[in-house]
Amino acid sequence: MTVPVQAAAEQITLQRRPARRGSRRPRAGSYGRARGQGVGYLFILPAVALFLIFIGYPIIRSIYQSFTQWPGFGPSTFVGFQNFSAMFQDPVFVTALVNTIEFTAVTTIVATFLAMVLAAVLRAKWRFGTVFRVAIFVPALLSLVVSGTVWGLIYEPNFGILDTFLNAIGLHSIAISWLSDSATVVPSLIVVGIWQSLGFYMLIFYAALHDIDPALYEAAQLDGASVVAQFRYVTMPMLRSVTSIVVTLNLINGMKVFDIIYVMTGGGPDNASQSLTTYLYSLAFGGQVAGAIPAIGYATAIGVVVLLLAIIIVAAQLAIGARRRLT
Amino acid sequence: MNENMNATSGGSISPARNLAKAMSEGAMGRRKFLGVAAASAAAVGLAACSSPGSGTTASGSASKTGKKATVNMWSWYTEDQPVWGSVIDEFQAANPNIQVVPRTFGSLSDYSPALEAAVSAGSAPEIIAPATLAISYGRAGILLDLKSALGSSFINDFFPSTNQEYSDGDKQYAVGWEAQMFGLFYNPEILSKAGVDFPETWDDLITASAQIKSKTGLVPVSLNGNPSNNAADFYLPLVTQASNNPDLVYQLDNLSNGASWNSTYPIQAFEMLQKLQQNGVFEAGAGAVTYDEALALFYTGKSAMLSFGSFIVPGLLTSASPAFNKLYKVGMTPAWTAGARHWGANQAGAGWGVNAQSPNVDAAVEWLKYIYEPSRYATIMQKSSSMAATMTAAAQGTNPIVREMASWITDNGCNHILFGVGSETAVGNAAAGVIAGKLSPTAAAAQAQSAVEAARRA
Repeated sequence: MTVPVQAAAEQITLQRRPARRGSRRPRAGSYGRARGQGVGYLFILPAVALFLIFIGYPIIRSIYQSFTQWPGFGPSTFVGFQNFSAMFQDPVFVTALVNTIEFTAVTTIVATFLAMVLAAVLRAKWRFGTVFRVAIFVPALLSLVVSGTVWGLIYEPNFGILDTFLNAIGLHSIAISWLSDSATVVPSLIVVGIWQSLGFYMLIFYAALHDIDPALYEAAQLDGASVVAQFRYVTMPMLRSVTSIVVTLNLINGMKVFDIIYVMTGGGPDNASQSLTTYLYSLAFGGQVAGAIPAIGYATAIGVVVLLLAIIIVAAQLAIGARRRLT
Repeated sequence: MNENMNATSGGSISPARNLAKAMSEGAMGRRKFLGVAAASAAAVGLAACSSPGSGTTASGSASKTGKKATVNMWSWYTEDQPVWGSVIDEFQAANPNIQVVPRTFGSLSDYSPALEAAVSAGSAPEIIAPATLAISYGRAGILLDLKSALGSSFINDFFPSTNQEYSDGDKQYAVGWEAQMFGLFYNPEILSKAGVDFPETWDDLITASAQIKSKTGLVPVSLNGNPSNNAADFYLPLVTQASNNPDLVYQLDNLSNGASWNSTYPIQAFEMLQKLQQNGVFEAGAGAVTYDEALALFYTGKSAMLSFGSFIVPGLLTSASPAFNKLYKVGMTPAWTAGARHWGANQAGAGWGVNAQSPNVDAAVEWLKYIYEPSRYATIMQKSSSMAATMTAAAQGTNPIVREMASWITDNGCNHILFGVGSETAVGNAAAGVIAGKLSPTAAAAQAQSAVEAARRA
């Protein structure tokens, strides 16, 4: 059985030239060892410094900012946990939180499973398989803004191709205004999110499928397993570690979804499609459009919540994955 | 540790593996290393940051000292972008110690975060397009009081509505650059085909809409409902029409004189909005239709009329065909009843403020006076097909559509931009809810009032 790819750290081994009998093997001097380490640290110092300046410091500063009220000009006022306590009394925040969780959960489950199935189907050698693989992957090459703009036009109820097509085939009852109805706006956005990411995850699964020993499938066929059974009892277990990675990526992308919502609906209608990130953006920078004074402190507090949620969800996912590897 | 470590397979130890081993043993001390790195990073970061309010900008020194001053001017007024080159060249030739650097963002959404970041960093440009933050910035000392800087004779030539929106007590923190007036743009060919006249009242519009749909199958009125503040643009003049009181929206914005969104006239206005929506006056899903989509419906001949402001004229010159630009016309916003005033949304969506904290304040004021010189200002507005904010320049407009709409301002202009905390969002969402058929008029009014109160408590 082919051993799945392990992290690089697990494969590093050190080999030493054995000492000759009766001779003293020169010990690596402490000076020489420290000098080597110092050089190594110097090499990585720029990257660490950049990380601390552009990621570490802003995170620390943002956490502090989340405990203040600040309109973006003048002095800020320290308010303790007021921003956090206000969140759960803020109906728009609650809506945004629910939307974010819904978007993340649905896109993760559907995109992961669909990508796995598509990869397995396209793995089979059949005509035009390459064409389909490329076609499915193309959306992943588009920027999210472009995807959102294109789908906004597709969903447009007056001249968009979706409703035009539905009307043309007589399905007038479902040729609705997808993005202006609070009941359909989030599912419509979820479709776009899945469409955008499906090709990328399919590619990951497709590459991983090549590592599965064909002998396993031969054995399963000899045992009379159907195609579906082979997928369930051979493919899926063998893709477990890759699935964990795909799920983690999906979760992270879902938690920070912004572009397609901002471009397609701006969080509307009436905040029905707000996500945590679009809401915090509108609080911080939407003042000119919405006629409100920027609320940088509150927006930053929401950003901290997004960070904490992402850490919790990904940590849980990694813990579950690690436990499965041990069993 | 891997058992291969003690194997006698030979082979030298690679530098990478040496490094990995050394790091795993932590010989130098990871804590010490990270501490040094953090301190270095902090030092670099602090050195890169300039303290707010230091007054040192990349603009150079103030013109007061006679040294060259730079006047940075930020906006999202894309229609003016082609005009600035020659105007700036002439100004700089006459004022060799002042350099003007315009920066035009693609949209308000692009401009807003950049301006807020610049203001926060204390490096705001000398000339700002402040929009709805004019009063807030003025009270914070960021914007200059232009009433005292420019003088009352300068200010008095502006349309009163454009002065009012930037005024706070006896101070004024910005001046209008482009006035705007809303109306109902229409395609006379479609109206003729449907056998209808331009509507005088909202009931006339409902009747005409039914004819337009049955005879042509087209959308009667395309409306931009996304973002929701555009829905408020349509709704707020209805409040003025229902009450026939041009000050009511201002009072509602400030919740002054006992004004409440959950009261008679705002509810009546929501009822009219609902009536229009239920009679199919607007396109399907108007609440989700963007500015570009609403415009496209009109100039591609899919809608008979378009409810919008005079600021779309430059956009139509760019997007629509020359034939369509000669074809379309504009009429006043329909009235509440026959013979009533055609109150229509009016104020200035575009204006200029001066950064009071800049060392180049004098140079900025000089530049403002230059661009507002009556004949020069009128020429700039003509070239960009925009509506001037001063009465003198507006009367010299050459675009017939803009000129006609400017003539309505004095007698029919009313407020449609809300500056109070939470007002625009609250009212826009309520109006969008009615347009979407999700909110009843009473529910919308209650929601608007509740949302405004919640925003002001926060």
